[in-house]
Amino acid sequence: MSRGPAVLRSLRIGFMPLVDCAPLVVAVRLGLDRRHGLSLQLQRQASWAAVRDRLLSGELDAAHALAGMAYGIDTGIGGPREPMAVLMVLNHNGQAIVLAPGPAHRLREGATLREALDIPRRRPRLAQTFPTGTHAMWLYYWLAAQDVDPLHDVEAVTLPPPEMPAALARGDLLGYCVGEPWAAQAEAQEIGARVIRSGELWPGHPEKVLACRRAFAALEPEAATALTATVLEACRWLDEEPGHRTRAAHWLAEDRAIDLPVEALDKCLLLPEGDQRATRLRFHGDGEVNFPWLSDGRWFLHQFRRWGWLSPDALGDDARLAELHRLDSYRLAALQAGVPLPRGDIRRSVLFDGMRWE
Amino acid sequence: MPRVLLISDTAKPIGDLRAALEDSGHEVVDVVDGVRALLHAVEAHRPDVVIMDVDSPSRDALEQLAMLHRHAPRPVVVFSASGDEQLIRAAVGAGVAAYVVDGLAPARLRPIIQVALARFEQEAQLRQQLEGVQQQLQDRKLIEQAKGLLMEKRGMSERDAYAALRQQAMRQNLKLADVARRILSMAELLG
Repeated sequence: MSRGPAVLRSLRIGFMPLVDCAPLVVAVRLGLDRRHGLSLQLQRQASWAAVRDRLLSGELDAAHALAGMAYGIDTGIGGPREPMAVLMVLNHNGQAIVLAPGPAHRLREGATLREALDIPRRRPRLAQTFPTGTHAMWLYYWLAAQDVDPLHDVEAVTLPPPEMPAALARGDLLGYCVGEPWAAQAEAQEIGARVIRSGELWPGHPEKVLACRRAFAALEPEAATALTATVLEACRWLDEEPGHRTRAAHWLAEDRAIDLPVEALDKCLLLPEGDQRATRLRFHGDGEVNFPWLSDGRWFLHQFRRWGWLSPDALGDDARLAELHRLDSYRLAALQAGVPLPRGDIRRSVLFDGMRWE
Repeated sequence: MPRVLLISDTAKPIGDLRAALEDSGHEVVDVVDGVRALLHAVEAHRPDVVIMDVDSPSRDALEQLAMLHRHAPRPVVVFSASGDEQLIRAAVGAGVAAYVVDGLAPARLRPIIQVALARFEQEAQLRQQLEGVQQQLQDRKLIEQAKGLLMEKRGMSERDAYAALRQQAMRQNLKLADVARRILSMAELLG
């Protein structure tokens, strides 16, 4: 729905150089922001800590963020506490766990994960991207489901994704969980192997979200909704046809959103042959991807509690999530963008170990 | 003598601070240029303060260390081009104890590091107090709920319900809130 007011509202949006920042770059390149009365200023960041600090200080109005981070900041785990808002989900799937060739081979040959990692004789070092981030959660869940205690049996470290393949090659790490293109890099260099894609671990898991401070969502509801509608349209465009993703890969490279050649980006954005619909990188799926499902939020809080970062009482969770997930704003934005809305606000997921979640 | 670790992994010449720091009575344990060396240096030297650029890609690694190990060097001095008071406050909450705006005179380093150490300690204390208060509040809520449950299901008076909880806590050598938590989760299980 175009309104075209005389003065555009300028919003500063932070992002990290990863392929799933594509919806933001697309929104600007297609001028979708202007159609909703906005002018988005995209600002590349060097760390998730910087994304968080700048969101909290107001230097950024909203950001491309790891889903887990929004809940981590809202509950004040390992850092400052600030009420947060999730405006929408940017993508599902598209991440992977990589192991060094030795353990990956043993796992493929039928060894248990404990045997493959030589636990308890060794305490392997595995990397993720942020203490409360999605990659940490996928990695810990995958380990625990196979009888490996992520807090004791392994040493979890946080590394910037571009440094992970080299660290694996040097033997500093035995594996890592990361977003593309950094799992593909390990395979291309034959220094590691993908042992599971995140879309196999939890088909249709939420990955990056569009997050802001709750104060921004509450005090500037029109800007928040216009931003959501803008990015929703960009997500829809990305899933419309494969050619659009190739164009997005070019824009990501041209805008220096990610310092990689366009071929590498294109490979990660395009859908690999034989990949199942439920497990591949998706940006829209008729809005199913973008709706901030309350059940997804419960999953993260449940995991935080499982690892001892939150007090054991889940009593306030639903009240917290009702404030955190801006469903009213999302619904309004979906109406503006003509995106179908689901009937409920929870969904059922089945994870790789058979666990059902809703 | 404060032991300082310098992280020099951006265009900002953080490593150049070494001489000035040593002249003003600091021990610079290492100058590192990436996460690998950073992890090693923290483990080997246990520095009191870390100095890095606000846009260093190594910041997330420090977040993980801080979450895992209480002994991690939380006071971090960050160099930023912006003197934005809000950004400084947000970062201080994240364990960054001092923000330094570009164009720093070496003579100012010493007081900045002292302030950073003091402020970090103060923040940590405040945080601990806050967590204590929140825990108490949470405990009280649980006890109220468990009491209510006993009153409803067992037809007890409020006083009797409370006495029953206390007795159970003493018998099992548990905190009152733990007994309440058990009763509530048991009730949930039994429906």
